[in-house]
Amino acid sequence: MKKSLSFLLVLVMLLGITAMVPAEQKELEGEITFWHSFTQGARMEAIQEAANKFMELNPKVTIKMETYSWGDFNTKWNAGLMTGDLPDISTAQGTGEVVEMVNAGVISPVPDLIDEIGRDRFSERALSDMTRDGNNYGVPYYSHAQVMWYRQDLLEANNLEVPTTWKEFYDAAIALTKDGVYGAAVSLSPNDLLGTRYLNFYVQSGGGSLLNDDLSPNLTSELAIEGIKFWLDVYKNCSPAETINYTVLDHATLYYQGLTAFDFNSGFMVSGVQNNRPDLVQYVKCALLPTMNEGDPAYGAETSHIPLVLWNNAKAPEAAKAFLAFLYQEDNYVRFLDAVPVGMLPALKDITTNEKFLANPTVEQFKEEIAIISEAISLGSAIGFEHGPSVQASYLTSQGIVEEMFQDIITNGTEVEVAAQRAQDKLTEIFDTMIN
Amino acid sequence: MDLRHTFRRDRNLTRWLFVLPAMLVVISLLIYPVFSTVANSFTNRTLIRPAYKFTGLTNYINILKDVEFHNAFFNTIVWTFFSLLGQVVIGFIGALCLNKVRGKIPRTIYRICMIIPWAFPSIAIALVWKWLLNGIYGFIPSMLSQLNLSEGMVQFLSTPHLVLPTLVFVNIWFGSPLIMVNTYAALQTIPQDQYEAAQIDGANAWQSFRAITIPHIKVVIGLLVVLRTIWVFNSFDIIYMMTAGGPASVSTTMSIYIYKLGWTSRMTGKASAAAVILLIFLLVLCAVYFLLLRRWEKEDL
Repeated sequence: MKKSLSFLLVLVMLLGITAMVPAEQKELEGEITFWHSFTQGARMEAIQEAANKFMELNPKVTIKMETYSWGDFNTKWNAGLMTGDLPDISTAQGTGEVVEMVNAGVISPVPDLIDEIGRDRFSERALSDMTRDGNNYGVPYYSHAQVMWYRQDLLEANNLEVPTTWKEFYDAAIALTKDGVYGAAVSLSPNDLLGTRYLNFYVQSGGGSLLNDDLSPNLTSELAIEGIKFWLDVYKNCSPAETINYTVLDHATLYYQGLTAFDFNSGFMVSGVQNNRPDLVQYVKCALLPTMNEGDPAYGAETSHIPLVLWNNAKAPEAAKAFLAFLYQEDNYVRFLDAVPVGMLPALKDITTNEKFLANPTVEQFKEEIAIISEAISLGSAIGFEHGPSVQASYLTSQGIVEEMFQDIITNGTEVEVAAQRAQDKLTEIFDTMIN
Repeated sequence: MDLRHTFRRDRNLTRWLFVLPAMLVVISLLIYPVFSTVANSFTNRTLIRPAYKFTGLTNYINILKDVEFHNAFFNTIVWTFFSLLGQVVIGFIGALCLNKVRGKIPRTIYRICMIIPWAFPSIAIALVWKWLLNGIYGFIPSMLSQLNLSEGMVQFLSTPHLVLPTLVFVNIWFGSPLIMVNTYAALQTIPQDQYEAAQIDGANAWQSFRAITIPHIKVVIGLLVVLRTIWVFNSFDIIYMMTAGGPASVSTTMSIYIYKLGWTSRMTGKASAAAVILLIFLLVLCAVYFLLLRRWEKEDL
């Protein structure tokens, strides 16, 4: 009996020892197809560098990068649904697109990856915008928010204060529309979302929303009609007529080149001006979005958290996840953010105080602007996400319906109320067809 | 008897074997897409939802009731008619001029100059013209303004009544060289002795042109018109790159309308129905063209 017990004890001890020996880490292998929209030189270089480093550390892993502009990306993966040509991992244009991808059933939840990077390091709001039915479907890569950009030199030369309400903004824009400079551009190409974005600013500032609580579109509320009329006035009196067909890039270029005094955009404005008119960089400043009335609380009308997602299609999910986690390692992450300083703000809270991140001269120069954008980030969500993540919110911005409505009013002289009702009906039809 | 029969059967099978690769290519690249478009047009298929159901003629009825479809169809007719008219007239005049240029070097230089627009990718051409016509800093509006030929900068791409004519102008500039080169080749085939005989008979230049030149090249021009009609009718890149069909759909043609239905709204079924309507219209138009061409050919015989 004793012998048997001793034998059993020895056996248990041996097994215990075996369990204490760490299992040999499985070597990662496989090919990862990574679709991203970092088409600009510096960002593409940074992401390629990280991929090269990862492949060096994991010789059996191959990372194949494919870049698509933000505009083409949505079309590309939609076409891929039919043909099966889909990536293993990718960026998404924003949280709205993540919901679209979840709705199409093409991406996998990644709570384990978020836990590995450190769930507490992300803002709760950013994570919740990418969460459906309790599952995290995207990892926030970087963040930005819409703020009002202005030219300090033009305001000073005209003895104008930085506007804090929409009325002040309009008056200042009118005053600055002279000498080859336009007060503010209103761009309305249906291939982009600027019309929806601007209308959303106004409606949000009045405490409203472009979606009802039941997620049906709302373009005919008193506030929305007032907002449409406001932006039509800005277009007619302060904007070049040409911008009726401008997309985001055409639009922003006007500010980059010193042709507009005000603009609404994220921190990408800084690098845009640096590249186009370095002589103007010192006058580039930003403020929170104007409010409806003086003294109204600050609000953030549009925050974007650009996500990384893992596709169901992934042939080597472990290697893909390991690469995604690798991108968040301090050196790689800061190197990437440095590619467009101020434009891409950290999605990881601890990086905002990271010495390497703060050492960038542009970050140093624009620290006040970074503080303002960070405040806007904390206050806002994606357009339509004030009711929580929804596909309807994504379709609100991706269909160009609001932009077509603006164009119809300007070009055909259609009454505002009639055009708004038509646009609302059109969106309702799309929501019904695509979702219900 | 049996042997002969077997040999004939084998020969028939071998013949089919040789034709098979070509048939497979035609089926996979032509017949399958057409049939799948027709099949989709009777469903409520969307790009992002795998489930769909048969909806009969609903898509066709909705399309035919859609004001935007009527607008796109009308714009396409205007775009095609004026683009073709301009291309044929300019291309024809260019070919006649080229035919009159004497000397190998001047003729080569002239031919190269005239073919330049056709040699560039249409996307590059659209971007260059968009830049030249830009209403804020474009070269052409600036020049017109500085020469006091316009009040301020002309908004070629945003003034509703100027947008489509501007696009037609760019398309004429782009497409004329093809007509010119082909017409020039046809002109080269006309025997010179016919002109000499006409001259001896006392025919003037206009009579020679009408009685000799036109009959010789009308079939070539007719075929070019058929081809260009289909290309211009379906053309997408120049309009999409320059205005994307805007503002307010004033330059939306059928191809842009279908693209927006299929890729922006992602309504594959509805977009397919619009594509089928376009296909039927083009088939009818081509049938009329070919009947005319056949009649011309018979007249020549």
